[in-house]
Amino acid sequence: MDTLRVLIVDDHPSFRTTARALLQSEGYDVVGEAENGVSALRKARELEPDLVLLDVQLPDFDGFEVAARLTQNGSRIAVVLCSSRDGSDFGPLVSQSGARGFIAKAELSGAALKAVLE
Amino acid sequence: MNRTGWAVLGGAIVLTAIGVALTFTSNHENTPVFTVASNLMVAWSFIGCGIVALQRRSDAHFGLLMSAVGLSWFLSSLGESNNAYVFSIGSVLWAVPLAFFIHALLVFPRGYLETRLVYGTVAAAYGLLAIGPLLFTFFGENEGCTDCPENKLLLVDSQSGANIVGLTFIVVGVGICASTVWVLVRRWRAASPPLRRVLAPVFVTSGIAIGVFLAAAFVGAVSARVSNVLFWFLLVAVASVPLAFLWGLVRTRLARASVTELVLELGQARDGNSTREALRRALGDPSLQLAYWLPDRRRWVGPTGWDFDMEAESAGHRTTHVEHDGEIVAALVHDPSVDPELVSAVGAAAGLALAREQSIQTVRQSEGRYRALLNAIPDLMFRMTRDGTYLDFKGEAADLASSPEELIGSNARDILPADVADRLLEGIAQAIDTGEVTTGDYELTLNEVTRTFEARIVRDEDEAVLIVRDITEQKRHEDELRNSRVRLVRAGDEARRKLERNLHDGAQQRLVSLSLALRLAHSRLKDDPAEAERLLNSASEELAQALEELRELARGIHPAVLSERGLSAALETLAGRASLPVEVTAPDDRLPPAVEAAAYYVISEALANIGKYAQASAVEVNVARLNGRAIVEVSDDGVGGADPAKGSGLRGLADRVEALDGTLAVESQPGVGTRIRAEIPCG
Repeated sequence: MDTLRVLIVDDHPSFRTTARALLQSEGYDVVGEAENGVSALRKARELEPDLVLLDVQLPDFDGFEVAARLTQNGSRIAVVLCSSRDGSDFGPLVSQSGARGFIAKAELSGAALKAVLE
Repeated sequence: MNRTGWAVLGGAIVLTAIGVALTFTSNHENTPVFTVASNLMVAWSFIGCGIVALQRRSDAHFGLLMSAVGLSWFLSSLGESNNAYVFSIGSVLWAVPLAFFIHALLVFPRGYLETRLVYGTVAAAYGLLAIGPLLFTFFGENEGCTDCPENKLLLVDSQSGANIVGLTFIVVGVGICASTVWVLVRRWRAASPPLRRVLAPVFVTSGIAIGVFLAAAFVGAVSARVSNVLFWFLLVAVASVPLAFLWGLVRTRLARASVTELVLELGQARDGNSTREALRRALGDPSLQLAYWLPDRRRWVGPTGWDFDMEAESAGHRTTHVEHDGEIVAALVHDPSVDPELVSAVGAAAGLALAREQSIQTVRQSEGRYRALLNAIPDLMFRMTRDGTYLDFKGEAADLASSPEELIGSNARDILPADVADRLLEGIAQAIDTGEVTTGDYELTLNEVTRTFEARIVRDEDEAVLIVRDITEQKRHEDELRNSRVRLVRAGDEARRKLERNLHDGAQQRLVSLSLALRLAHSRLKDDPAEAERLLNSASEELAQALEELRELARGIHPAVLSERGLSAALETLAGRASLPVEVTAPDDRLPPAVEAAAYYVISEALANIGKYAQASAVEVNVARLNGRAIVEVSDDGVGGADPAKGSGLRGLADRVEALDGTLAVESQPGVGTRIRAEIPCG
């Protein structure tokens, strides 16, 4: 399988650092990081990642809004939403946003990502 | 006629027969017809008067004495007897009637003897008139009577002895007459007009009789013939005394006829004063006072409704109660000499009118009480018809939608805005139809100020009574209270949201990172222990920061030091964490927990604001307890210009303080600094 190119979007630097180290150790290629919705959309256009790991609570945009924009117009970018909150807090918003799925931050791992993408 | 009257009548008839028989069979009576006629005139005058007086309980004693005068008058007939012994007895007892006469005179009109002088005079009269003639017969024959029988009581035929007795008789008699006149004059001078009307005829005729008696006594010592002539005058004068008394009774009877006039007058009397004047005229007593009995209040009131001091007014007077339907309705306080039977007749005739006026007085007193109660009620009150016409009102002119003069007779639709008038009339109709209290509120602009009123409408037969209360202030307070509650709830919600955000953004993120780092370190442990160690060190720092953030959060929810060690210690901690010098003065003794919490948050918020906006160099915090209140002051030397209306922080503090019935004041002059002062009751 080709190495998936990942863009990490989260406003907490410590999480971005830890997530990068974790994903890279599990064979993902982290091509970039963004700390808010605006820079996430810009970097997605620039870097054309395969996967965007997207935090739900961003300082400027709602994560679902960003997910919808990233996946509109037939875009092939896969979006996986994540949050330190439980997925059940968001109900149908995850599926309605165009994202592939949701992972709780504490449970982030290569295997969890693979499971969501399949 | 009562039994005593019949007894007197019977005795009088018997004595009359005896007297007539003795006179007409007398050898020494030259004018028997004249003598019988004159004796009968005098005797029956007194007997008749006595019998009439005996029928009246108030005059019974006087009646007995008058009857005694009349009956004893026939004793003089014993002197007509041809029997020497009977003749002698007659010579002794002839003066007894005069003693009874003086007694009756001094007893009139009260029926009893009053003073020692009066008692003495009466006793002396009885003594003189019983003993005097007896002594006289001891010493002398009857000079003027040649055919008279022998004086069987003669002891010593002594002219000088008889003269001495006669002189003594005269002297003592004059003394008794003088004393009697003195008593009567004093009685006259002390008498009220009604009493004088009663006394006058009797005194005048008695005075004449006494005068003639004295003249006869004086002249008798010199000339028996002149004395005999004067004696006839004396008889006429004496006989007129009972007629004078009877005249008084007739006047009373005539006065009773005025009772009919009284009833007519009372029917037209406008008020209590008119009634009292009519009663005064009917009884001939200008000093009469009238009082009405109020059974509910258990007191007497006068004709004008003022309290009547019965004890003070009845001193020296007689009080006669007037009853109607078995209940006392009024009292007449009158001169004691007014004929009691006349008073009773007047009272009976006036009973209905007085009962009616008593009812009016009772209603007036109630009205007065209710009016006082109504005036004490601060609300506006209106009486209105169903169609909205104002009939009456009570209240201040400033609270009315129109001037007081224009209000009565005008209609609500002319004065009030259409919507208010409609609602008012609906309320009136509902109250009148259902009989239940209808309430509603409305707004009116009076003197350019919009006020809120609450109206309560009750039915009063086919009209409505409205009690209107200005609830503008009350509504303002309620709105303020409601708004303050909303703000407090919102502040609580906001604090919870902030807490969640702080937890999410702070400690929660760190713990998530920590979790990932530990997992990564675990995966690296075998292959890259150095990397694993690095990851573990980083995780340890992350954990320490997470713990610190959680501590901060806990402090923000509620500082433990405040509960455990009190406000003073908590303030020292706050001051220690502040970014500028804070001088704290606070009492060491504890305040109630809610007050300490409110004071802590006021100071905490104030310090936070000072740190953000004030650009101050120093802060003073003072907490003191004074007169049952906690006084909290935070002063800084910053730029000032803080406006509580513009910031929700200060508004929230004010709500918290006001929830404890406290006050929050902010003084913030631009360029001078800011002072926040909270006063919170400590209870």
